Amino acid sequence: MSERETPTKERLPPESRALDIPTGRSRRPRGRPLLYTAYNQDMALLDTRAKKVWTAVLVLAAFGLSVVLADRSLEVLAGAYVLAIGAIGLNIVTGYAGQVSLGHAFFVAIGAYTGAALSAPPGGRTIGLGLAEIWIWLPVAGLAAALAGVLVAPLATRLRGLYLAVVTLGLVFLGEHVFKEWDALTGGPGVGRSAAVPQLFGVRLDQDGPLGTREQLLYLLMLTALVLFALAARNLARSRIGRAFMAIRDRDIAAEVMGVPLTRYKVLAFGISSFYAGCAGALLYSITGFVEPGSFSLLLSVQFIAMVLIGGVATVSGAIAGALFISLLQPLTRSLPALVPFVSGDTTVTPNVFQVETVLYGLLIILFLVFEPRGLFGIWIRVRAYWKAWPFSY
Amino acid sequence: MKSRYVVTGLAVVALLSACGVIRGDDEGSKGGGAVATGVTSEPCPKAVDKNKGCIYLGTISDLTQGPFAALAVPITDAQKAFWKRVNTAGGIGGRYEVDVETYVRDNKYNPETHRQVYNEIKDKVLGLAQTLGSPTTAAILDDLKANSVVSAPASWTSAWEFEDVIVETGSNYCIEAMNSVDYAMEAYKPKSVMAVHLAGDYGADAAAGAKIAAERNKLEFTAVETPPGATEQGRAITEITKNKPDLVILTTGPADAAAIIGQSAAAGYKGRFIGTGPTWNPALLKSPAAPALKALYEQSAPGKPYGSDTPGHKAMRDALPGVTPNDGYTSGWAWSYPLKAALDKMVASGDVSRKGLLAAVKTLSTVDYEGMLPAEAGNFSGDANAATFRQTLINKVDESAPTGVAIVKDFFTGPTAQGYTMDGPCFNKLS
Amino acid sequence: MKGVLESVIRGLGNGSVYALLALGFVIIYKATRVISFAQPSLMLAGAVAVSYLAEVTGFYSAVLLAALLIAGVALAIERIAIRPMVGRPVFVVAIITLGIDVVVRVVVNAFIGRDVRQMGDPWGFTQVSLGPLVVQTRWLAMLAVTAVLVGLLFAFFRFTRYGLAMRAAAFDQETALAQGVSVGMVFALSWGFAGFLAAIAGMFVGTGQGVEQLTWIIALKALPAIIVGGLDSLGGAVVGGLAIGVVESLFQSYQGELAPWLGQNFAVVTPYVVMLVVLLVRPYGLFGTREVERV
Repeated sequence: MSERETPTKERLPPESRALDIPTGRSRRPRGRPLLYTAYNQDMALLDTRAKKVWTAVLVLAAFGLSVVLADRSLEVLAGAYVLAIGAIGLNIVTGYAGQVSLGHAFFVAIGAYTGAALSAPPGGRTIGLGLAEIWIWLPVAGLAAALAGVLVAPLATRLRGLYLAVVTLGLVFLGEHVFKEWDALTGGPGVGRSAAVPQLFGVRLDQDGPLGTREQLLYLLMLTALVLFALAARNLARSRIGRAFMAIRDRDIAAEVMGVPLTRYKVLAFGISSFYAGCAGALLYSITGFVEPGSFSLLLSVQFIAMVLIGGVATVSGAIAGALFISLLQPLTRSLPALVPFVSGDTTVTPNVFQVETVLYGLLIILFLVFEPRGLFGIWIRVRAYWKAWPFSY
Repeated sequence: MKSRYVVTGLAVVALLSACGVIRGDDEGSKGGGAVATGVTSEPCPKAVDKNKGCIYLGTISDLTQGPFAALAVPITDAQKAFWKRVNTAGGIGGRYEVDVETYVRDNKYNPETHRQVYNEIKDKVLGLAQTLGSPTTAAILDDLKANSVVSAPASWTSAWEFEDVIVETGSNYCIEAMNSVDYAMEAYKPKSVMAVHLAGDYGADAAAGAKIAAERNKLEFTAVETPPGATEQGRAITEITKNKPDLVILTTGPADAAAIIGQSAAAGYKGRFIGTGPTWNPALLKSPAAPALKALYEQSAPGKPYGSDTPGHKAMRDALPGVTPNDGYTSGWAWSYPLKAALDKMVASGDVSRKGLLAAVKTLSTVDYEGMLPAEAGNFSGDANAATFRQTLINKVDESAPTGVAIVKDFFTGPTAQGYTMDGPCFNKLS
Repeated sequence: MKGVLESVIRGLGNGSVYALLALGFVIIYKATRVISFAQPSLMLAGAVAVSYLAEVTGFYSAVLLAALLIAGVALAIERIAIRPMVGRPVFVVAIITLGIDVVVRVVVNAFIGRDVRQMGDPWGFTQVSLGPLVVQTRWLAMLAVTAVLVGLLFAFFRFTRYGLAMRAAAFDQETALAQGVSVGMVFALSWGFAGFLAAIAGMFVGTGQGVEQLTWIIALKALPAIIVGGLDSLGGAVVGGLAIGVVESLFQSYQGELAPWLGQNFAVVTPYVVMLVVLLVRPYGLFGTREVERV
């Protein structure tokens, strides 16, 4: 897990900062987008004009989709955006800081139940405090998960690689046990409870209203949340903390020698990652309005890992692309067998469409990773390199 | 957040528009001979009579990977055969045929997937011929209620008694367990009852029923929650052999039941087991637990077994030639009768729509099950307590029967179930 | 005391199943540095293969045939999906094995169908007396077969040419390659062994109660077992598997009485609790090699 964004520009030697090179927002020479004349240009959130323009275009287009797409597609995309928040979180601890965690589902669950318990109306069958405003329960859900992450982190400072992965996996099983037994909070397995209620300044976002249908409202909510969380993550990655994470990932002892306090930063990585997971959990189930303890299994953790790997390790945009890929893969595999006439729709015949659909899901993941182990981000790098050199690309 | 999004974004848009998901298209079924959502004046794709219209019903079931796939497949199969027979016999009110094959989806027993596939088909179907699982159905219940989508569930949890849009057939697990305990009171005079159960809507529902019946009969009661998985039953076996209850009410899967009964008997346990319907599978007769099952086990059931001699059972067996007998077929077939009755009534009333169907359901006080169940099992009018069906039967192991079980006590209502007021889902009342 | 010992023997029986699975995980890990999440599906496939073959050939030959068949399947999987990934990040490969697990399980489920499939084993739920103890015959059979298999395996690694090659490749792939060891063959062999062991484990899981579609979950218990024992220690896998089986069995028997406040069914998560406790004391498991770190 040591891949990074390949450097596309020459970094300035550090001593140049000491020279009389202007800091602040100096202009770049026209037609030389990769020539940096100031350190903060190199470290900018979006370092080239193309990135700025296209990011703006994409965000606007994504917002525009809310009036273009049908409700059910909006709901799928809203779910994908929330999963993307979770995937960005996992990418912080696994991609940037190199601590492989299979326990993401556990933190997602903590967020989901914190949000649900805070926002549900009091007096029901399960715990509810009646604080339905999203700006109350979302941060609290994130913080609750972050606290759990910080408590777990000391283990992570002792363990490496697969040991850490399996230990965090154990966390998922322990959590599943607790959630299944704690009926008052979770409603118990097979029964479940109502999820967090998304209400913003008195407006219920999970009901049709004058502002749009519930799917449109939820879509806009999730998209806004994703943009905020994605920007925050990208900002984090370029900061001192982000650089410390990457140093730990690349060689933790070397990082320590260089003066990066390992324990503090590993705890921080788990805390931030779990905060993202908690927020994602609280938001995710408000779409369906229902949450059941069986959802937080190994499978969910694995899905997040798959999103990060398929999207591209240690990139925010890769995590988002991976989340979209995995979320849209199921609807895609559902529609594919319909195009193949010889597969039977009859459930008693083998192979039938449902078996083909499930097998396809597994196969597509295998094929994708066999042919493009660097994920969607790897494809992007190759496409970009091709066009950069065009027409002399080979 | 970079321009690499163009590719992804464009791909996504292309994909979605290819699937016809652009806004406004979702009400598309209104055009082209549509009478109402999920009803067309055009014939069904596999119509028997091309002059009739078509009513589309969806099926969302656990068809590949989930824990109930082994049961869901025969259920789905039987329902196809049921509606095919209805169509051949003249359809609904002589004007419509029913299609349950176009919109079949796999939920993998996952609530989120269930909701997604439901959203994919909900604008194309009038109701759901099957929605399998409690947590999965709970994930779409609000939408079912908001849009009056009448649905037949594929489980017997007591929560369904309280939902108008859900047309359940047969007694719930809670009533079933009450009757089992009452039956045992007559037959074996036990002094202590232990409920060995899975958690949640299935196991806890039955355990709560057993508890209520035990209290009424002044029996000593203990509940042992056990995890799913045949190799995980060590604790349940220890509890049974250590405490030696006179009667064990089992609500687990078939392999779990075989492990519990076989190993308890091997360890010298001599009490009785009564398992709810889903604890039985004919293949258990080939297992090493077979002698113990024959000696100690009886099965309670919400309906008569596969080989029974009623017009309904006969029709089912004729419609499913060459299948390995399984009571999944029986359940799937029986579950379809109320929906057929409601559709008949809806078409007769002239209001062919979701609202019309729901109104028709609410007026049903009896349903003709062709002898498979008593007609009053199909009571959907009135409040939940009055409409709850309270008769179950008890089967014993019988190798000569097609599904390995034969009736020992026909439909009966025990005194506990008779006097019990259904005022909420049972599974909340266990602890 | 009698109850405790009987419980321990049950634990050793179940634990030997975990040990066989854990050995498969460790063998693959040592050769390829990857945890193969395809083990559960191979275990299930093994059990189902036994249940079909036993009707034709009788139980004992069915077990051997099924184990060889699953070893063959594992070889094919390795050749098609894993070999092209040599040198790729291990977690990418791990996710690929998860994809394989999904695919194989769907295929196997189609063979299981709607009934619980029986192994046709001679043990059933019969019991034997060991002095004052009464235990199920199959626990003893599991323990005995596992002991024999483990013995053979260790002999293979210790005394044969291929065993030496596998040890060499596990120690340092590049050096082994330079010495003429075919690392590709080592990969293939390791998957073959893992498939073989998984099939035997699956057969044992199915004795008595049979196999159904959900049986695969049991294989996940081998994961804490390998961590307890140490990821790269074969002996550790055996010890870890047995330890987890025993602790779990004891909790099944006595937790309800002695520690009811842990909640019902705490036994289900005891493997993970044992794992956490062991790791707090020894971060590389009981017998794992401490990584030598260089800057």
